[in-house]
Amino acid sequence: MEEKKSSMVWRRVKSLIPGDKLILIVALIIVVAIFTSLNSNYLSWTNFVNILVAASLIGLVAIGHTYLIIAGQNDLSPGSVAAFSGVLGATLVSLGLPFLLAVVITLLAGVMIGFFNAWMVNKIKIEAFIATLVTQFIIRGFAYILCDGRPVSITDKAYLAVGGTRFLTIPLSVWIMLVLIVIFGLILAKTRFGRSVYAIGGNKDAARLAGLNPQRIITILFVMMGVITALGGIIFSSRMHSGQPAANVNLEFDAITAVVLGGVSFTGGVGDMFGTILGVILIQAFNTGLIMVNVPTFWQNVARGALLLFALTSDYIRKRNREKMLLEASKKALASN
Amino acid sequence: MEHSVEFRNITKYFPGVKALDDVSFVAKGGEVLAFLGENGAGKSTLLKTLNGDYQATSGEYLLDGQEVHFKSPHEAIEAGVSVIYQERQVLMELSVAENIFLGRMPANKFGWIDKGEANKRAQAIIDDFGLPIRPQTKVKDLSIAYQQMVEIMKAYSREDLKVICFDEPTASLSDAEIDALFNIILKLKGEGKVIIYVSHRMSEIRRIADKVAIFKDGRYIGTVDAQTTPEADMIRMMVGRDLGDIYDKLDRDKVIGEELLRVEDLVSDYVGPVSFSLRKGEVLGFSGLVGAGRTELARAIIGADKVLGGKIILEGREIVDKSPHDAMRNGIVYVPEDRKTQGILANLDVSKNITISMLEQNSNAIGVVDTKKEDVIVEDSIKDFAIKTPNAQKKIVELSGGNQQKCIVARWMATMPKVLILDEPTKGIDVGAKSEFYQMICRFAKQGLGVILISSELPEVIGLSDRIIVMANRAVAGEVMGKDATEEKLLSLAMSEGGRN
Repeated sequence: MEEKKSSMVWRRVKSLIPGDKLILIVALIIVVAIFTSLNSNYLSWTNFVNILVAASLIGLVAIGHTYLIIAGQNDLSPGSVAAFSGVLGATLVSLGLPFLLAVVITLLAGVMIGFFNAWMVNKIKIEAFIATLVTQFIIRGFAYILCDGRPVSITDKAYLAVGGTRFLTIPLSVWIMLVLIVIFGLILAKTRFGRSVYAIGGNKDAARLAGLNPQRIITILFVMMGVITALGGIIFSSRMHSGQPAANVNLEFDAITAVVLGGVSFTGGVGDMFGTILGVILIQAFNTGLIMVNVPTFWQNVARGALLLFALTSDYIRKRNREKMLLEASKKALASN
Repeated sequence: MEHSVEFRNITKYFPGVKALDDVSFVAKGGEVLAFLGENGAGKSTLLKTLNGDYQATSGEYLLDGQEVHFKSPHEAIEAGVSVIYQERQVLMELSVAENIFLGRMPANKFGWIDKGEANKRAQAIIDDFGLPIRPQTKVKDLSIAYQQMVEIMKAYSREDLKVICFDEPTASLSDAEIDALFNIILKLKGEGKVIIYVSHRMSEIRRIADKVAIFKDGRYIGTVDAQTTPEADMIRMMVGRDLGDIYDKLDRDKVIGEELLRVEDLVSDYVGPVSFSLRKGEVLGFSGLVGAGRTELARAIIGADKVLGGKIILEGREIVDKSPHDAMRNGIVYVPEDRKTQGILANLDVSKNITISMLEQNSNAIGVVDTKKEDVIVEDSIKDFAIKTPNAQKKIVELSGGNQQKCIVARWMATMPKVLILDEPTKGIDVGAKSEFYQMICRFAKQGLGVILISSELPEVIGLSDRIIVMANRAVAGEVMGKDATEEKLLSLAMSEGGRN
């Protein structure tokens, strides 16, 4: 009797939330439970907000990665671009430019970087993975060149307000991430642009023959990634009170891990923004937990690598299951013909 | 012990395709068994199942009476099953001996490769085969026929060779080379090996095979004696239902409208210059050998490949298609030949596959897709084209090949095109669905569309077209009216050398 009741509840839950998302939520609960048992301060409102703040930059970059990886692309440059943007914003303001103008110029730099990535992928036909590795190095170099290797401190009040302001007790940076995730999630799910992204990720050639313009879509995606990352870099520098050329190393690593955890597949054409937000929270809950239970920094790297391996393995298993299901379904379809 | 290979009720599924359907056959040692069937009959899937490249979805595979489950070609070779493919699998930069003993070169007691010993042993096999080649020669310096011999010797050099399969081995050989090959096959036969010989050249089958196993649409039809069975009987088994009367029953308009499309001296990197015209309500067939430039012509017309010169005039107005998107807007659409890699969007469902080309019309000013509008189009398409699917949310790859193809045609018909280009539309589709497509094509023509039908199946192109353009060597080789067309006429034009007009 008891068992039946619980299985009914289970079915109810399952019908509300798709199965692969449910696994993520369960994983999140397990992560929270483990770290709470190791450090009782882990499960608290303050720490929850801390996790969200720390996740805000990863979350922004993960928006771009969700689109790019669904479209069959990738981007390894965001870490450098975020650091560069922080340095650029801080430098411009320190030169006396008004904050808003500094933001506009920095975002334009993000646009240019996006165009550069898209140009390499579309015209020079370099794999996105390698093309954006080029950008990663070049832009990191510029970040150092721009400030001569020294962090640029920020004193502008408007600039500092971005990272300092709270709204309903939650910092502005978190609100920006959440609002953008919702907006870009809706664009991905509801608009013809979103639909095109899935189509070119599934099969670029077929999508082109069906009348879509894959190169244009890829360009838009890289530019979008550039702008969002530049915005993230400004917010991050504001939180740090300085633009730091050495900041945000491995940012793309965390963002890609989050996106793949969330169910976006490296084969392209599969995934959604709801999974990404869960993935972002999961990975930051994990990273923050590692720090709070005093895991040595070097071992944190090992753990994060292991998490990405876990994400990729589950991506592989999901893919295999999809193929199995397809085969079964097409067997049935053929038998009924 | 006498060797044998047996398939019992082997079935192999791929998404959307049942490649092998309950296939059973036995091949015995000391006997040459030929596999005969049309393209798409399942011969290559059979060979790949034999050598472990594919694993059967169900059924038993017996080698010498023992059930086997090969997970890779390597395992099959280890167990004594080798397939000699049409494409050479030899390594060009290595010598004959190195190729023969690839991965098992004789070594001395220090583990160093012993080239002398390898050459000696290779020479013994070469002598055994009676060939005039040297073990030290690099394979790239040999003729194609001898490269193939090297492959056969490689299989033969394994003491435990039990089964050897040949996939259309004579495709690129001269008569003298064929004689040499057949002598080797007879030698292997004399040694009690199981020999499977895939070909559709009847004269060869008569010469070399003892028995013929006939396949059609992934099914085993039967085994007949290679010497005494009349050719007509074998062809009937191979082709099955006669399509002749299907064409006669098609509902065609006798009257054809005014000129719709005129192509003048169109040139791309891959084809041309080509000129032709198409009228409203006309089915214009494009015939020719594979590689004659028909697909390339279609790709140039729709802007998939860059046009270097020439004009496209649609309804009296010159148009420029820089991309398939432009062509679609102008009213010219293209159903590609390779459905799997160029037609369907495998990750999306039936509904999204049908509406993908209508996104602009189906979304509002800020780009939000009107799914209700889409649902209507999809519902109509499923009904109009009799697409067999439980619902529109099924992934397209779950459908059979014919139904996938209907979705692609529905996708384009929803855009209200003026010219519909179909590239091998019935390739890999079963006979029942084929006749549905033929009726569909006639319906489109009746509606006033200009239909360009690229097809390598001669009866199909003759049965459906009002007029047939034959291409050869990337240019038009000639034109025949549909009612005057015969297979012989089309073939002789297709094989004409120059082809340049």
